[in-house]
Amino acid sequence: MELELKQLRDRCLADLKAVCELKTLDNVRIKYLGKKGELTIALKGMGKLSSEERPIIGKLANEIREEIEDNISTQKQSLEQQEIEAQIREESIDVSLPGKKHQAGNLHPLTTTINELKEIFLGMGFSIAEGPEIEWAKYNFDYLNVPHDHSARDLQDTFYYEDDIVLRTQTSPVQVRVMQEQKPPLRIISPGRVYRSDEIDATHSPVFHQMEGLVIDKGITMSDLKGTLDLFAKKLFGEQTKTKFRPHQFYFTEPSAEMDVTCFKCGGVGCKVCSNTGWIEILGCGMVHPNVLQFCGIDPEQYSGFAFGMGLDRITMIKYGINDLRLLFENDLRFLAQFK
Amino acid sequence: MLVSLNWLKEFVDIKIPPYDFGEALTMSGTKVETLTVVSENVINIFTGKITKIEAHPNADKLIVCTVDMGTEERVIVTAAKNVFVGAIVPVAVDGAVIANGTKIGTNDFRGLLSYGMFCSIEELGMNTDLFAKEIIEGILILPENTPLGMDARELLWLDDVIIDVELTANRSDCQSIIGIAREASATLDLPLAAFATYTAAESCNQIADYLTVKIEDPACPRYVAKMLKVKKIAASPLWMQVKLLNSGVRPINNIVDVTNYVMLELGQPLHAFDYDSLQSQEIVVKTTAAKKMITLDDKERDIDETMLMITNGQAPVAIAGVMGGQNSEITEKTTLIVLESANFNKSSVRLTAKQLGLRTEASSRFEKGVDPELAGIAALRATHLLLEIGACEVIEGLIDVYPRVEALKKVSLDINWFNAFVGISLTIDEIANMLTRLFFTVEKISDHVLDVSVPSYRLDIELKEDLAEEVTRIFGYDMIPGTIMGGETMVGGKTPVQKFQDALKNILVGQGYYETLTSSFTSEKRLLGLNSQLEDNLIPLINPLGEENSIMRNTLIGHQLEVISLNYNRKNPFAQFFELSNTYRKNTKPGELPIEEQKLAISSYGSADYFELKGVVELLLEQSGIKYPEFIAGGSDFLHPGRKAEIFVAGTKLGEIGEIHPLVVKNYELPKRCYVCQLSFEALFDCASLDHKFTDLPKFPASNRDLAILLKATIPAAAVATIIRNNGGDILESIELFDVYTGAQIPADYKSLAYALNFRHHERTLNDNDINPVIDQILGALKESFDAQLRE
Ligand SMILES: [Zn+2]
Repeated sequence: MELELKQLRDRCLADLKAVCELKTLDNVRIKYLGKKGELTIALKGMGKLSSEERPIIGKLANEIREEIEDNISTQKQSLEQQEIEAQIREESIDVSLPGKKHQAGNLHPLTTTINELKEIFLGMGFSIAEGPEIEWAKYNFDYLNVPHDHSARDLQDTFYYEDDIVLRTQTSPVQVRVMQEQKPPLRIISPGRVYRSDEIDATHSPVFHQMEGLVIDKGITMSDLKGTLDLFAKKLFGEQTKTKFRPHQFYFTEPSAEMDVTCFKCGGVGCKVCSNTGWIEILGCGMVHPNVLQFCGIDPEQYSGFAFGMGLDRITMIKYGINDLRLLFENDLRFLAQFK
Repeated sequence: MLVSLNWLKEFVDIKIPPYDFGEALTMSGTKVETLTVVSENVINIFTGKITKIEAHPNADKLIVCTVDMGTEERVIVTAAKNVFVGAIVPVAVDGAVIANGTKIGTNDFRGLLSYGMFCSIEELGMNTDLFAKEIIEGILILPENTPLGMDARELLWLDDVIIDVELTANRSDCQSIIGIAREASATLDLPLAAFATYTAAESCNQIADYLTVKIEDPACPRYVAKMLKVKKIAASPLWMQVKLLNSGVRPINNIVDVTNYVMLELGQPLHAFDYDSLQSQEIVVKTTAAKKMITLDDKERDIDETMLMITNGQAPVAIAGVMGGQNSEITEKTTLIVLESANFNKSSVRLTAKQLGLRTEASSRFEKGVDPELAGIAALRATHLLLEIGACEVIEGLIDVYPRVEALKKVSLDINWFNAFVGISLTIDEIANMLTRLFFTVEKISDHVLDVSVPSYRLDIELKEDLAEEVTRIFGYDMIPGTIMGGETMVGGKTPVQKFQDALKNILVGQGYYETLTSSFTSEKRLLGLNSQLEDNLIPLINPLGEENSIMRNTLIGHQLEVISLNYNRKNPFAQFFELSNTYRKNTKPGELPIEEQKLAISSYGSADYFELKGVVELLLEQSGIKYPEFIAGGSDFLHPGRKAEIFVAGTKLGEIGEIHPLVVKNYELPKRCYVCQLSFEALFDCASLDHKFTDLPKFPASNRDLAILLKATIPAAAVATIIRNNGGDILESIELFDVYTGAQIPADYKSLAYALNFRHHERTLNDNDINPVIDQILGALKESFDAQLRE
């Protein structure tokens, strides 16, 4: 019996060694350890043994069972390992082959510019205000302190829908509406589409875009205007950017200024982008004219504020080095797709 | 405006380099665009007088001139035809450089040496636009009294720097040398020199024997007339011509040149009439019924009764402030002139000039506004010059019709307010000093208040804010510190609508769509190309730029198609676009502005099909929290009748989607298959539910059932889904159409729709007893509605 068991063990171990696939490994287990397996059957013959032999053989049988199980388990691990290795070998790929195409589009560069400007001002506590593009002439001119005989009101300069309704020539009417409808303190920007009767060329378009900003509160000073817009310029064009405020004139503001920034391309030494001046004109600004405050029902003796406005198409062109305004409105995919 | 730096220096002793001066002017509010030396290169060109001309022995076309250079004689060989003995000409000597950079030396001309060369206008680097053709083509002949051996740079102001300044609309007082000189004086804190004017020896009124002036229209606030006897009409002296040239004005003759000179110098337009041609002893300023008039430039102008005229009592002799008439022009024969120095209302001149399409130096100055006080001074300045250059003799007396003399404006300035407003702290004396530099008269009325008298020419100053700008610009904008705003903290940020707009755009970008930017204009023709009748809610413009831009668009579709057409024709094989933009339509409510409605247009060609686009729209709706949108066959005429749908959510129409109609494909030159969708942004936002709420994850498993339904092919799948959903009870969690079959295995005109139904209860596991009755209910309803059956 003992010999029989040992032979059984040897046969089994030899069988196990011969197994080279996981699925046949189970066959070996069933053959020896299964319900009708050889070891199981052999153990059933234990009843015939004497009571002295029984524990010895029983112990041996258990040892052999354990040994077989250990061997199966070891063999299983090794086969699994081999199988994984084989799989890995088989499945290796040329990782340098191109990836599968996924198409993403992108925003129009003008939108990207607007978004960037918005983020800067939103971060300073501004809100975004909007208003009609087809606007009362009085909102576009009168309330903005534009003289009644000013040529900006002429049919050559401004599109009219009716005698008293125009396509707004600036986004400033939005500021008027905000001042009339809300109480100070106010901090708003108003990006939007504006219109002037210019034939389209490389730098002009009858349809273009502006963003204006307005701050009204008690005690707002010209030096707040400088500080705020200087910060804006640094955020838009980089920390090293310097600003220059030159006196200018707008009907909407008094005192008024234009702000230049150091050329982001050459850093101020002069290049093609800045026409060799080292500076780029970016925006107009000033302290809100007391007449405008009064038109909007705000007491100029109590409140002061500043306003600024800039051409978004121009800033977009400067930012991306686009040399022809018409490209912005043409929507050639080869143009649009450059701004991912 | 062009300003001669040399001329300016006659008023202000500017010592700093031109570039620095330009910067200083810019920073004090007079923007300098460019600084240009008249003739950068030219050196070693001197005046010489031709004393002898001989023929060249070896060349017919050349002559040999002996030239007196003042201290030496010099032989010049030339081919020039306009030189003559006695002519004083500019001579480029050995080592000279002419305007184009060419060096001049001694040259052999067919065996004879020429020790230099005579120069033309162009070779001197002067502006050829300002001379007659015959003068440009020849050698420049200088006036007889020109000194010999004089450097042409000095004589002809070739070293002058021309400053191009951009004036702001409010500073009409700067449209002159004196105006810029005042700014220079204030900016640099240097004194301003005075200029000479004519003062009558004694008061005597000879002019009354010749002329009276009447103003019959308030558009002329002042009319000053001075009369002079002409001694000789001739060229004006070289110094005067040079100043005109460097200001961009063509010299004509001594009389006209003086009127232009004074206009450039003081900013007052002047006009000289030939007294005899007036054929009258009076000048009346009024409007007339005359219809035609020939102006100084020999052109016949259509005039009318709205235009202010200078008349001889009957007929117009000049268009006030714009241009004189040919009928009273100064000629060779003129013996008496009437010098007009008048003031005209700016809108009157602007409207007249605009209507005539005639903008002159005079009209553009009047349009911006001229100080009435200037009229008297300018008349006397011109008289002084006409006498000084020997052009005229004076007729004593001055006519000055000036019905209403305006008092000087006074503005009071509280320096505490000023310092708080600007954010600086200047003393009252510093402020008073800066205002004085700007020629304001300042009176200190308390320790913090100044009473400021405004010079008559400062038409722009009315309020304390105006004075604040004056002080600040002289103080220097760059000296103001930059501060961060105080006051209440403000949160700011985007509104839900603004956030939603961004979100929609981002989804579309992520799905491969490119944002477009198109104009707001369209036209009848462009709209009719969309295979639709014109709607009656359009917004036409009164003054469009051309027919194709004459209407505000009421749809984005046309522009999307134009973008597709452009890209298709430029061989971009496929593309997907979107735009979120305003459309415009009439407001039926009277007294209100037109309606502006934001729409979202999405389009594609080349790669996608209807279902691809629909899938993107469904994604947009899903991302907007919109459940169960309905796509119902139908929509506008620009869409393919068999491939178009209107999109509804709970009865609200969001927009439409479909393939472009073959006719429109032709009209817009499109690729054969284009797909578009247009949604109302407002409706979309109203239907959107953007709040996200967490619901517990399901604890019990779902049960899936597949149903294949056989029914007539014409029945829309969406209607089937609705029936299933409506009959699915609470436990029907979702349905998904996973197959549509038509073909041999089912009857013709029929289709099979295969749905995967997902059932779930949130408190227990469902079994057949729960689900089967629901399936039966669904099948029953489908049979009833569409005669549909379960496909075996
Ligand atoms: Zn640069």
